[in-house]
Amino acid sequence: MSERKQIRNYLNNLSRYLSPLQDIEAQEVVKEIESHIYDVIDDVEVKGGVADVEAILDRFGPPRELAQQYIGHIQQGTPPPEGFKAISIVKKGLSRTVYLGLMCFGYFIGIACIALGFANLLLPGSIGIWSEANGNTVVIGMLDNPVLVQETVGVVQGLWLSPVALILGYLILLMTHKVLKFVRQFSIGQHYV
Amino acid sequence: MPENKNESVKWDAQLRKGTLELAVLAAIHKRAMYGLEMLNYFHLFDTMQITEGTLYPLLDRLKRERLLAASWQQEGEQRPRKYYSLTKEGHQKLNELKARWLRSVEDLQQLLNSPTIEEGHHYE
Repeated sequence: MSERKQIRNYLNNLSRYLSPLQDIEAQEVVKEIESHIYDVIDDVEVKGGVADVEAILDRFGPPRELAQQYIGHIQQGTPPPEGFKAISIVKKGLSRTVYLGLMCFGYFIGIACIALGFANLLLPGSIGIWSEANGNTVVIGMLDNPVLVQETVGVVQGLWLSPVALILGYLILLMTHKVLKFVRQFSIGQHYV
Repeated sequence: MPENKNESVKWDAQLRKGTLELAVLAAIHKRAMYGLEMLNYFHLFDTMQITEGTLYPLLDRLKRERLLAASWQQEGEQRPRKYYSLTKEGHQKLNELKARWLRSVEDLQQLLNSPTIEEGHHYE
C-alpha cells in the first residue's frame, strides 16, 4: 500500500468512527491530524530522511481508539449496545436525506389528503376513490367528468369522503411530525447530551 | 536496565495523567502553538515523551472546556495549521493548577526530607 493510501485509509476510518460528532467537528479533527501527519513527513524529508508513516500512525493509535477519545463526552459513560455504533454510522450518511425525504413525502401526502377533503366539499361528485377491475386499479382524485368513469365502481364517493380525507390527512401530518421530532431528538441527543 | 527504564516510563505516564493538562496550559501561556510544535516542544523534556494520540484529544477536551481557543492559520506556502492559545479561563486555570502543583511538590519534598525516612522508621 502506498503511503498516501495508508494515510487516506487511516483518516477515512477515523472519520467513520467520529460519526457521532457533527460533520464540521469531525472534519476539523481529521484535517488537523492530516496536517500533522504531512508536516511530520515534510520535516523528515527536508532533513533527507524517509518518513516512517506506519510509526507516525502508530503514535496516534488505532483510529477507533483515537476517535473514542473525541466522542467519549457525547456517549456519557454508559457504552451503547454493540449494534448501536453501526446504527449511528449508518445514520450519519442517511439521516439528512431520510429526514428531508420523509418530511417532503409525509407533509405532501398529508396536505394532499386535506386538500382533497376540502375540494370534495366544493365539488362533490367529481372527487372520489374509484376502483376498477375488481380492485386491481384504484384511483383517488378529482375527475373533470365523472360520467366517464361510471363503469368503474366508486368505492368512496360523495360528501362523506371529506371527513375521511381530513382525518386521514391530519393523522398523516401528525405522524410525520412525531417521527421527524423523534429523528431530530435522536440526532441532537447524540451531539449535545 | 531496560526493565527499570520501562518502570520509569510507566511512572512518568501515571504522573502525567494529572499534570499534562498543566503542561499544555503552561506551554502556550505566552504564545499560540500548533499541535506538532507543542509535541516537539514537550519532547525536549525527558518526562514529557507523549504521543500524538494523547495530545490531540486532550487539546480537543481543553478547547471544549473553553480553556483553549483554536484558530486555523496559514503562513505562505505551508499547509494550514490549527493554533491553540489560552482563553481568559485558561489563564485562570493555569494559575490555579500551578499553585496546586507547587504546593504538592512542596508537600512531597517535605515527605522525602522527613527525618522519619532518614532514620528508617516505619509506621505500622
